[in-house]
Amino acid sequence: MSIDIYWRVGTHGDQPSLRRRTQSRGGFVDTPVPGRLAPGLRDGVPDGYSYADHVADVVRASETAGFVGGLLPSFPGTDDPWALAATLAQESRTYRFMVAYQPGFLHPVQAARLTASLQAATGGRIVYNVISGGGGPAQLWWGDKVDHDDRYARTSEFLDVLKGVWAGDFSYEGRFYRVEGAGLPKELAGQPFPEIYFSGSSPAAIEAAGRHADYYLSWLEPFDALAAKFAQVRADAATIGRTPRFAVRLDVLARPTEDEAWDEIRRGFANLSPAALRAFEGGGDSVGAARSRGFTGDPSAGFRGLEVAPNVWGGFHLLRGGPVFGLVGSYQQVAQRLDELIGLGVDAFILAGVPHLEEAHRIGENVLPLLARDHDITIPGKDEQ
Amino acid sequence: MTTVDIHVVLPTRPEGVRHGFGHLREVVRAAELGTLTGAVVPFDADGLESWSVAAAALRDTRWLTLAAEFHPGVSTPVYAAKVSASLQRFSGARLAWRLAVDLDPAVARAHGDFTVGSDRYLRAAEFLQIARGVWRGGQAAGPGGVKGGFTFEGRFFDVLDGGFAPPLSLMPFPQVQLTGASPGALELSAHHGDLHVFTPPTLAAAAELTERAAALGRTVAIGVQLSVLLREDAAELTGAPERDEVDFAGTYAEAAELLRAYAAQGVSTVVLDARPRIEETYRIGEHLQPALQGA
Ligand SMILES: Cc1cc2nc3c(=O)[nH]c(=O)nc-3n(C[C@H](O)[C@H](O)[C@H](O)COP(=O)(O)O)c2cc1C
Repeated sequence: MSIDIYWRVGTHGDQPSLRRRTQSRGGFVDTPVPGRLAPGLRDGVPDGYSYADHVADVVRASETAGFVGGLLPSFPGTDDPWALAATLAQESRTYRFMVAYQPGFLHPVQAARLTASLQAATGGRIVYNVISGGGGPAQLWWGDKVDHDDRYARTSEFLDVLKGVWAGDFSYEGRFYRVEGAGLPKELAGQPFPEIYFSGSSPAAIEAAGRHADYYLSWLEPFDALAAKFAQVRADAATIGRTPRFAVRLDVLARPTEDEAWDEIRRGFANLSPAALRAFEGGGDSVGAARSRGFTGDPSAGFRGLEVAPNVWGGFHLLRGGPVFGLVGSYQQVAQRLDELIGLGVDAFILAGVPHLEEAHRIGENVLPLLARDHDITIPGKDEQ
Repeated sequence: MTTVDIHVVLPTRPEGVRHGFGHLREVVRAAELGTLTGAVVPFDADGLESWSVAAAALRDTRWLTLAAEFHPGVSTPVYAAKVSASLQRFSGARLAWRLAVDLDPAVARAHGDFTVGSDRYLRAAEFLQIARGVWRGGQAAGPGGVKGGFTFEGRFFDVLDGGFAPPLSLMPFPQVQLTGASPGALELSAHHGDLHVFTPPTLAAAAELTERAAALGRTVAIGVQLSVLLREDAAELTGAPERDEVDFAGTYAEAAELLRAYAAQGVSTVVLDARPRIEETYRIGEHLQPALQGA
């Protein structure tokens, strides 16, 4: 299997850089003003473009820059990944849409029908990021009262039903779902079932991942911690005779030299208020998020203190919304760390950088070509499996 | 002059060798270029899924309103609203919802829906209340921001402190289209519908709906959906085998007259179901639209 490299899509707008936490793309702050785009202003009037038009550019940039596709996240304040994938299905050729969704919110029959329709629209380019939610007020916001471990039980049952419906003529009566004679219509049947990327660090998550994950997906952590987690997932899956592959989602801030890369971080840090340095989004029941917080340092001691290992920096959450860890360094260094991760057993990456459009080109053009050639990297449209 | 908006039904399953999104996009473009008002994507257990079809059709058009038909068991109301908020943003607010409440029982069970009888209408009402509630409810918050202020604990769904923040909340909520002529269907529409689409034989119930809605201080627009066979002159219709299978067969001039008569009865929207869809949609744009507008 070759290594699949994805490039994330921001579904909550984007910043022009990590220097300031100011959104300029997609209308996620206020109304359009000069300098904000998609929608933008012409002669004081919104220009009729929407965030989907900017995301379409990111999709095209990712495709040309050599990524196999992109992860589309889903949170209360974001645009919806199904809506984006369905809107942009026709505007790319090889791009795989990795749709993040929580199983509890869609009925599995609807998920099967929606997926099969999108497989038909894209020629089989839908991938799942199955997430089971972070609990707390956000879970109730979505209208979901199910607690942490039961959410994974539901996720597991949901995927059983979804696969059953996909195969056809399926009846089932479980704890969360019941169907009678379910299946896909002739026109939608027989298409490839999407690859499943599965997230979650808790024991309940790892057990469910063992049953369902094609790729066990983790945020970046210090490499030894990550290796230990993979070993646990591998052992758990082995008890039922499965061998998942592994994927990591991480930000990359790469520049021609290491100094230039850290200088970007320094500038971003200088613009943070003391309150922003203390703020750590919490309140949920996510084991994975708590792990990340535990691995990084105290930001008030300065940005370099958050470099927990060479080039592994645990402060990205301070400079943009999202997870904690990423790589900071020269093109060469970042490529080398990615090679080390491949050496640890990573089979796929979801990379990200701000701003997503320009950084897709930068990383695709400057870092991906430096990856060691002792492992195959998937070239979009060429060596699809 | 009283007139009506014309909508067409989009294909969700093959028509001869034509099939899938390629076929669909041609019909959508035909309706758009033909200056029609809208199109309906039926909930079709044997065909393509309606949200994905509506999203693709919205992306291919600038003017057309797209009504996606689905049943309230497909997702939580919050999630349906969330997907729709994005589609409204991407399309300049051209999405409409059509809720299929009265599903065939076997189809419903195959879709995991075991709600029966009047409960289906209660659930649909809750679904719409919550979806509208979260749409309006929110305050500004970050991407994980969750201070919604909208709480609803119902029989079928719950939301605690939900509600969309800008920009998701800035677009209008999708127009809600409903169908059916049973007392439950009319009651649901009186409370929650924006447009009620009748079949020709049940159009007589429109007066009752209008009355029920007025009692609640609301108005619900009236639509009619009918299958049609339309030709330029009577000679082309005689002997056409389809004529007995459609609700209305006639010339464009006769169809224009029928639509004007509907308009005079207070109908604002006519949904035409005509096949083959690509050609017939073009002809509706080129022949019926001008006949209706007196050109
Ligand atoms: C790579 C990755 C991506 C994720 N993306 C999302 C997302 O888009 N939306 C979301 O609500 N949660 C997302 N999550 C969080 C999961 O829903 C879940 O809260 C998290 O994995 C914690 O689960 P745990 O308690 O089992 O560790 C993501 C998690 C990971 C690891």
